[in-house]
Formats: sequence, C-alpha cells, structure tokens
Amino acid sequence: MATIGLRDILINARQESFRMNHYYLGVEHLFIGLLDIQGGLTGTLLEEQGLTPQYVVDAIRRLTGKGNRQRLWAGVPDTPRTKVVLSIANDLALEASRPEIDERDLLLAILEESDSIPVRVLRKLEVNIKRLKEEAHTRALTDAPVQSYIKIDFGTDFDGTFALTEQTLFLLRRMFHGYNQIRIERRLMGGYTAALILVVTPVGADRMEDAAVVVKIDTADIVLDEAQRYEQHVKNSLPPLTARLEDKPTTSETSDLAGLKYTFVAGTDNNAQDLRTVAQKIGVDNLGEWLRRELYPYFGKTWWQQRREFSFQVWTEYDWLLPPLLTLEYIGDEESSAPVSAIKEPVKRNRINDLHYGDVVTVEGFIVQRVNREKNWMQLAIGKGSEAAKRAYKIQVRGLNLSRDAFYRGETVDKLLGRVWQTREEALLRAVSSLEPDFDYRAASIPVLGRPDTLPNPIYAYDDLLDRYVNGSFSKIHGDLHLGNILVGPNSSAFLIDFAQTRDGHTLFDWASLEISLLNDIVMKAAGDSWQTAREVLRLIAALNAGTGTGITAASASMHPVSAIREIVRECLAVPDQWDEYYIALAMASMRAFTWDTMSVGGRRLMYLLAALTIHALQHKLSGAGSFDTLSTDQPQEE
Amino acid sequence: MEDKYVGIMLMSGVDDGLLLTFDDDAGSQNGDAWTLSIGRKEDNDVCLRNDTYSSRYHAKIHWRGESWWLEDCESKNGTFIEDSVDDQRVTGTIPLSDGQLFRVGRTWMRIQPVD
Repeated sequence: MATIGLRDILINARQESFRMNHYYLGVEHLFIGLLDIQGGLTGTLLEEQGLTPQYVVDAIRRLTGKGNRQRLWAGVPDTPRTKVVLSIANDLALEASRPEIDERDLLLAILEESDSIPVRVLRKLEVNIKRLKEEAHTRALTDAPVQSYIKIDFGTDFDGTFALTEQTLFLLRRMFHGYNQIRIERRLMGGYTAALILVVTPVGADRMEDAAVVVKIDTADIVLDEAQRYEQHVKNSLPPLTARLEDKPTTSETSDLAGLKYTFVAGTDNNAQDLRTVAQKIGVDNLGEWLRRELYPYFGKTWWQQRREFSFQVWTEYDWLLPPLLTLEYIGDEESSAPVSAIKEPVKRNRINDLHYGDVVTVEGFIVQRVNREKNWMQLAIGKGSEAAKRAYKIQVRGLNLSRDAFYRGETVDKLLGRVWQTREEALLRAVSSLEPDFDYRAASIPVLGRPDTLPNPIYAYDDLLDRYVNGSFSKIHGDLHLGNILVGPNSSAFLIDFAQTRDGHTLFDWASLEISLLNDIVMKAAGDSWQTAREVLRLIAALNAGTGTGITAASASMHPVSAIREIVRECLAVPDQWDEYYIALAMASMRAFTWDTMSVGGRRLMYLLAALTIHALQHKLSGAGSFDTLSTDQPQEE
Repeated sequence: MEDKYVGIMLMSGVDDGLLLTFDDDAGSQNGDAWTLSIGRKEDNDVCLRNDTYSSRYHAKIHWRGESWWLEDCESKNGTFIEDSVDDQRVTGTIPLSDGQLFRVGRTWMRIQPVD
C-alpha cells in the first residue's frame, strides 16, 4: 500500500496556509497537512488519545489567528522552523534509506523539534507527547485502527423501537475495547439536545460483569469541550459519592461522534435510573420531597448554596437561550459599496429589530461559537463577559464555503457581510405557528382563562425584559438541569450527569429549567396536549405564584413537585420574597422551551403561555404572596 | 557586561524559529536599565514588519536588577503572556522569566540565553 509522501502533505499544508491568509509555510501548516490525510497516522494516534483531528486543527487556528488578505511578500516561504523540521525529517528518511520523506518521518521530526505551534497546542490539550512519539515510531503506516469485535446485547429495559446507528455501535465497541461483550441496559431520556445517553454493563472474557456505566454520545466538539470543562470546573466541586467522568473521551474516524463514560463511585448497583422513570414509581408527592431532601442539599453544599451577590442585566445571562438575533445569508468579507448597518458591540437591539428580510448588514468583532461543516453554517456571538454573556446575541450565518474559507471556533471575525434571512421575531412566530394556536398569535395580547382575560403576547413583550437589571445571586450551576440528567442511585442518592453546560451563573436558572422539565414531563404528560389543557395548567401555576395554593386539588397532584421547586427557590432568592428574580429566569427559560421541537406539543403550548404569565407578572410587579391570583377565578373563557 | 548578550526567538508567523541576538551595541541604556524595543517600525530593535497587528512602537523589554521586565507601550492590539487557560494581557510593566512565551500583536516570542 502506498504511503503518503511529503509532496501530498505539502499540497494540504499550502491549502491551509492560503485558507488562513498566512502565505508562508509554517510547522502548523505541515501538521494540519498531516491531519488532513484520511486514516493517516497522525490523526489515528491523536484519536487514540481522545481527540479528533478537527478539534486539534481548530485549537491550532485559534493560536495563530487568521492573517490579512493583503500579502506582504511574494511566494510562500518556509519559516526558519519549517526548515529545521524538514531537515530532521530528511535525516530520518535517509537513515531508513527512503527516497522521500513520509508522514511518519515528518510527524517524528515535528515532535523532535518540540517548540512549534502544533506541539505547544498538543501540550495544552494534555496530549502525552512521549507516548505519541513511541507510537509514531512503532505503528505500521498501513495498520487499520485498533478495532476488536465486541458483542453487543440489549437488556430487557432497552426500548427496542429505538435503533442505534452503525456509527454509534462502532464508537461503543471502541469505548469498551478489552471487554468481550457489553449489554445496553436502557436509554436514559435525554434532554433537548441530540445527545444519546445509555446505561451500559461491560462483560469480561470470564463472563464477569463490571459495574454499569453511563455513556454519553454526542458530536465530537461538544463531548471534547465537556471533558475539558469537567477538568477545569466540575471535578473539584462534586460531592464525594457521585457520577464521575472516567478517562478521556473516545472518538471515531467513521463519524463526527465522540463518547464519554460516567462511572458511579457509589458501588456496583446497576439500578441507576433517571428521574423521569423513577417519578412514575415513587409518585409525585415523593418526587417533590426527594428534590428537596436529597438533590438540593447534596449538590447544594458546593453548588447552589455557595451563593454570592450578583447584579446583572438580563440579556447577559439569558439572551443566549433565545433563537438567533438574526440568521444571515453569507456574502463575504469584502467592502460593500452601499452603506449598511453594522452590528457590533454594544449591540443595539432596537436597530436590529427594525431589520427585514433581504437587508444587508455587517457583523463586526463577533466570535465564532460553532461551525457545521456538513450544512455549511456557523454561529457567531459577542464572545465577551461572563460565560453566558459570551453566547449572547447569536447570529447564524448560512451558505458558507468552508472548503475555501476557514472559520474556526473561537475566531474573532473582524468583519462579515450578510443578507438578512430570518429575524428573531420571525423565528419565534414560526415556533408558535407550529403549535396551531386557536387564537391570533400575531396580536399584542393573547386570551387565557379567567381574569384578566388576556396576557401580553410574549413574542412582543420579552424584549424589554432583556435590558432590566436583576439583583440576584451567582453560584456554580449545572446549566442544563432536567429530569433526564438527574439519576437516582443506591439508597435513593442523587447523581447528576452531563456537565456540558456547568458554569458559574445565575443560581435560579437551574431551578427554572427543572420546573419546566417537571411541567412538561410530569404535569402535561398527565393532563393532555390541548390548548385548553395548557390554559388549565397555567391557572394552577398562577395559583402557585400567588402563594395561595388555591386550585391545587387531588386532580392536580402532579403540581406538587413544582411547588417543591418553589420551596427551594424561596431559599435561594437573593432578596426574601422578591420573586421577580425567579420570574425572569422562568420567563426566559420558557421562551426557549416553546421553540424546542423535541418537547411535546402540549408542553410547548404551556411554555408559551407560561412566558406570557411571567412577563405579565413582571410588568405589573405582581410579586410576592397573595398579590397575584388574577387567573385563579374559575370562569372559563369560551373561544 | 556578559549579561547583556541575549537572544529573542520568534515563535510564530513567517519568521517562526528565527533567533535574534543582541549585545550592548543594541538597545538603549536608561539609568540602571538596558532596554530593547519591539514594534512594526524599522527603528525598533525587534522589528515586526510583517505583523500588521503590531503597533509601530508596541512593547519594550528591560534588563534591570538582574531580571527581565516586559512593558506594553499602550499598543492597540495588546501584549500578552501565555497562560494555561486564557492569555493574560499585559498592563504596564511586569516581570518576565527566561523562556516565558509572550505575544506582541500576533507574534509569539521568548527570551532565551545565547551561548
């Protein structure tokens, strides 16, 4: 089998140099040239250390930055370091009496020289350079990647209607390399992301079963970021007995997927179940108790109870939950002849809200958050401030040509020209329209049950909230708390998994997220899907807001866990009995939820109404016990 | 006198790997400090003519009291010290150790001894 020689690697390397507007040949371009080889040695060895080639390429690009379009010299000169590396590689080829430098020679030369940008990046990503060198020496270039056959079985609890893809099975076999067999016990209900979460029992050659682990599979960027985040933010803040991330992530060259394993420190009990399943068994009353007595105090000691005062403007913590401020069709980065409006920090939303389909805008100084190479789009955000603020004011850009233009996560885009394709308001209207409203969803107010008989339409009313200041508190938060991420282990102990969003942020965000999960997964599931049902549930929430509890009867027992959440929130309010702080979180979290197409239709209908209810409360300062029972009168509104 | 012989190695860009060496003919003497200047203009000791992100007079390094100091000269795009998580922007004058990576505009460099 022919091995890849220097000539082909140099073609890849020059292409990378041009994509980045560098116009010189650096060691970083050579290394990316090596990573571009399909099934090549360098990519394979890095995958064995839990990284993907693309992830490393993006990290290298972040360190060098993109150059200017304007060229300052002719040709593509080698850097002095490239000359050193090529001469080491040449010596290696000569020693082995090869006529041309091959990929192994070049990789070894780069590792030997040891001071170049790619090697500095690998060290930062905690790659074991010594091991990489040893493997590069001994691995045959034509070796297929290590892949043993592992039998995959399914437990009786596994929902057979849900088929695992070939790519997922491939990744699972690699994750459990060394075992004879694995048994997939069940799929834990995921949240509203694409992540797949499975409970897996590994079985050894001697048929001895090891403790079950939780496996999370998602796109590589997300999983690799989660692993880095876990090291930096999560590891040291977990209670002593809980799920922990084991080892490095596992990646795959057959797909853009990667996997993580969470192990349970508590023992060999195989019965870790997510709260959605447990809730059905223990009943709604016990569920509320469990949240208050187990989950909140156990993780609270290092998380929600370690609160500091935190005054913030709503958009900084919550804008990122909303659909993109704008979706643009990519035009380019050249100067436009016509004057166009510029979107830059500080973002003036009132000017952006006036934009329409087809308007041309420039985006300046935004940071690339995500790049979708299959669908040729990327997402930008302002990238400054707290972790949530960095993701605020998303701008989606479609119609890129990523083989010609390099865009990488973390890149500051100095200037980009695009044509408005969809505004945020249009995205929100589209989401409501898909819920088949039985009322005019483009009107300024919407009908509900009882008095007042209308609430503000959240689509037109949320924007003012974003500029409000909140006197709240700040702590470590999970960032994506819902029933599927909370596991119940031995002795009904609480386990959290999925730390992809864990950060320091507004304490109440976690509880607003969990309330929304309870309303969708427990309350609406029991009640039904219609708008009428959603309005009836809304009335119960209004009663809960009023603190009177009127309206909560045996028939609405499913609301009990929600009132347990409110008890926890009461403890976490920065100013006692000032519920505005919570309603802000609930309003913004429900604004997000009604755009989720993975949530049930009934759930999304309720979320839309809940956004209206909480915004109404915030507009009228209807905060605190007894002051907000306006929806609790039981005069149904006929439509 | 021997202390003043110093090398600065460029660690990124088109001149990545280039070692510049300075003796006491270079730089300037200000009281007890020996100073080398870094910037895009030709009259800097370290001239970054290819880095459009560097200012004309961007930064200075000083040898004073037996150690190195790095000063940012109110540059537009900043001077940074490498850090494991996020690079730290330099304000004013800070101590600099041998081998410590720092960035002027887009150009990474480090001080290293010369044999």
